[in-house]
Amino acid sequence: MRITTKTIALLLAAGLFQTLQAQDDKKISFTGAARGLYYGDKLTQDSSEPDTVTAPKLNSGHVMVDLGVNIRPNKNTEILGMVRVRNDYGGFWGSGVTFDVRQLYVKGVIGGIFKYQLGDFNYRMSRYTFWNYDQEVISQQPTIFRQQTDVINYEHFYDNDNSRRQQGASLGFALVFKKFVKELQVNAVTTRVRASDFAQTDDRLFSGFNMQLVQSKYLNLGFNYANLYDVSGTSKNNVGLRNPVMTGTIQAVYGFKNYEAKLDGEFGKSRTFYQNSTTAPDWNGKFLDFNLKLSQTKWGVHLSGNAIQIGSAFRSPGAQTKRIDFSQQALAYTRITNNQELRPFTMLDLMRESSFYVMQLRPYLMEFAPKYDNITPFGDATPNRQGMIVRLRYEKKSSPITAEFAHYALQEMRGEGTLNPRKFSRNQLQAEVKVNEYFKNWKKRFNVSVSYRSDQTTREGEELVRGVDLKTNVLSTGFELEVLPSFDLMFGLQQIAYQGFDYTAVRNNFSEIFNFNEYEVDGEETMLAYGARYRFSEKTFISAQISRFNTQNKLSTLPAYDLNQFMLLFQMKF
Amino acid sequence: MKLRNLITWMACVVVLAGCKTDDEFDGPSLNDLYGAFSIVTPLETSADTVDFSAGETVNFTAAFSKNVSWKLEIKGLQSGAVKEITGFSNLLDANNALWTGTTTKLPFFKVEDCAVQLTFEAESDTLSDTLFVSGTRTYPGLLLGDFEGTANPGWTSFVQSGADMSFGIQTNSAGAAQGNGYFDIGGAVDWDYLIAYLYMPATAYGAPTFNLSSNPEEVYFNTLLFKPESLNNGIMLFQFPEDDNGDGVFTAANEDMYAIEVQMNQNNWSQLSVKYSELQSLVNGQPAAPNGNGVREPNKLTQVNILFLANPASGYANARLDYMIFTEGEALQP
Repeated sequence: MRITTKTIALLLAAGLFQTLQAQDDKKISFTGAARGLYYGDKLTQDSSEPDTVTAPKLNSGHVMVDLGVNIRPNKNTEILGMVRVRNDYGGFWGSGVTFDVRQLYVKGVIGGIFKYQLGDFNYRMSRYTFWNYDQEVISQQPTIFRQQTDVINYEHFYDNDNSRRQQGASLGFALVFKKFVKELQVNAVTTRVRASDFAQTDDRLFSGFNMQLVQSKYLNLGFNYANLYDVSGTSKNNVGLRNPVMTGTIQAVYGFKNYEAKLDGEFGKSRTFYQNSTTAPDWNGKFLDFNLKLSQTKWGVHLSGNAIQIGSAFRSPGAQTKRIDFSQQALAYTRITNNQELRPFTMLDLMRESSFYVMQLRPYLMEFAPKYDNITPFGDATPNRQGMIVRLRYEKKSSPITAEFAHYALQEMRGEGTLNPRKFSRNQLQAEVKVNEYFKNWKKRFNVSVSYRSDQTTREGEELVRGVDLKTNVLSTGFELEVLPSFDLMFGLQQIAYQGFDYTAVRNNFSEIFNFNEYEVDGEETMLAYGARYRFSEKTFISAQISRFNTQNKLSTLPAYDLNQFMLLFQMKF
Repeated sequence: MKLRNLITWMACVVVLAGCKTDDEFDGPSLNDLYGAFSIVTPLETSADTVDFSAGETVNFTAAFSKNVSWKLEIKGLQSGAVKEITGFSNLLDANNALWTGTTTKLPFFKVEDCAVQLTFEAESDTLSDTLFVSGTRTYPGLLLGDFEGTANPGWTSFVQSGADMSFGIQTNSAGAAQGNGYFDIGGAVDWDYLIAYLYMPATAYGAPTFNLSSNPEEVYFNTLLFKPESLNNGIMLFQFPEDDNGDGVFTAANEDMYAIEVQMNQNNWSQLSVKYSELQSLVNGQPAAPNGNGVREPNKLTQVNILFLANPASGYANARLDYMIFTEGEALQP
């Protein structure tokens, strides 16, 4: 294997080169977004005793502009500075206006070889090292609900590629070979997760290294190293976290005629310990995840099977930090009823409340809501799972319909509080239909989507310990119908029903389980929405929608209640 | 062919990933947290009579439906001595409920009947049994005095001529920490801190120095002290003069004398145990440089001085001493 003089090439920077060259004549350009959002809410409680304490109507909203200046002083350098100007409704003459720096970065290419980026950037590695999994329940909603979710995602830099927004430095380059190996891609990153207070809190950094060896179009091998760690000496505290994760990946593809087989696997191990601590645990965890996908490309049928085994001690903060912090409390209607009881969060809150969402890595397993997802609360990297996942998918370029059925048959690798493991079962069906494509002359869009998910967690009871049986059903359906050019009517329905009992683990700061709480739910949440949208362009629209949200929990002291919401959203990206 | 190999390989992975669960679980036992409590096997003792002086031990057995925090209390019906054994388990056996005759709350056990009681932190159940101690535990070490019978004739003493003076061995089984006797010191001296002293020279034990290890980290001085609840003014000063130069005589001007001063403020019987290496050279109660070689050498200890002091303005003071012993390797385990 020999590297020729011309084979050292910057592959990863190719996109950047193209962009820079195409825009070389414009050294300064502007980028950003603008949004106007208004919520009008009305709360109605199903109670025999009228609530005279809680204000039933609530108005809120804001207007904001993200204005970024993109400077290209030379063909190999790009600088972006973006400021945000935001004014909450109700702030007049500057009294409620805030100015923030939203992002700053410098990126470019050194010597035509090394691609670098300093400052704020989104980064992603493998699914078990550094991956930002979608939030629960609201990720596969109809368009009418997704408009609100998109606002949250934009606010927190949650891109569709599951990358995480970080602040630090990244470097990458690639080598191209003549024989045996096609290409070797190397990437490294270090970001600052937490700043030292110079007293008891160390600087905490995340460092990652990824090497991808592309042998050919048939075989791709990878190595990933990720570590979340405290930097000794940056405070007076001599106890420091270390959480290295090492994984290997393999992708093998083989096709013949109309058939294709693809093997996709990742396996590795983690260690979690606190240096100089005698009380913290020292955990070693392992995992493996192999997926074999068989496709009949002519028919558009894809069958895949996953075998997973993720140890209970596997800890990977880069992959296991959730988007939603379920320990938070909703800010809208925080307390209701005459007794001013705390209102538990609902899926409506998850769609609207920005304060629920986190961006920085957490070194521990965060709280989750079993009623929404008890099976994969930490995405694919959920620890203590083993079993099979089978997917059957229909997807064809020439077909207006896309559908997928998935079945999960998982169980814990290690029981919690008992030797008996929980067993998890999930059946999930998703389908999207571009109805207009069934008709030759119907050019306007008419998209219909439906998804249904049924989860069940079980564990046999013991003589003195109650059995576990928790069910969650999620139904989502909706459509967008273009009735006039660029003017769409939208409809959406989402319902979550949950019932049953489980024990939830209470963990200490080291994620060790020290107690269990009894967790019992019996309720449902329903959201029905309809509205209209006018698309000025693909990146700009105005939308108005009315939704009615209803929730009831038969085991709660809170009455069932409705939350009627009017939302007006203008959004533009440039 | 290659596809078939791929599928075979994948099948192997699936088999390897077969659902085998660990034989241990995470977190506390759910049964312990939420299961109902019941006594599976009642409390029993391994023997009705135990002779600790012969090296015998006794253990207790019981079994419960779940792990609980339990406390086993053995109380001497004559002495009032208490031994406590605690644990968190669903089983009592020789591993976690063994009694070798030691005491948790002074005084020491006597030859006597004992009541045994097992209680639980979060449960109302109480289990009881009885046990007879036919011989008390013996303690390894160099015994200076257990104050049973008469005083060692080699001891020397001085007693001020104050009011209500008491000084000497008293025999009173209810008042002793060990056995039936103790040493009582008391009185009111309104012109001097010193009320009385008792010197225990090594010669009283048959040698010019005590037969102790030369390593001060290994040697412990132990004694049991008693203070009446109504008095708080007593000060017990223990001095340890060494014959640094080996001439058979302690010379205060150029040899070490270490000490420990105890403010008598703990009611009833308590244990004083101090490692020899932690003794200080004191002048008027304050640390000072030793006059000799500055090395703590228990094997050169010539005498143990016990001085009972009190502020002359504070009136009557009283204290008791019992079971004074040097131990090696660890402090006295009563």
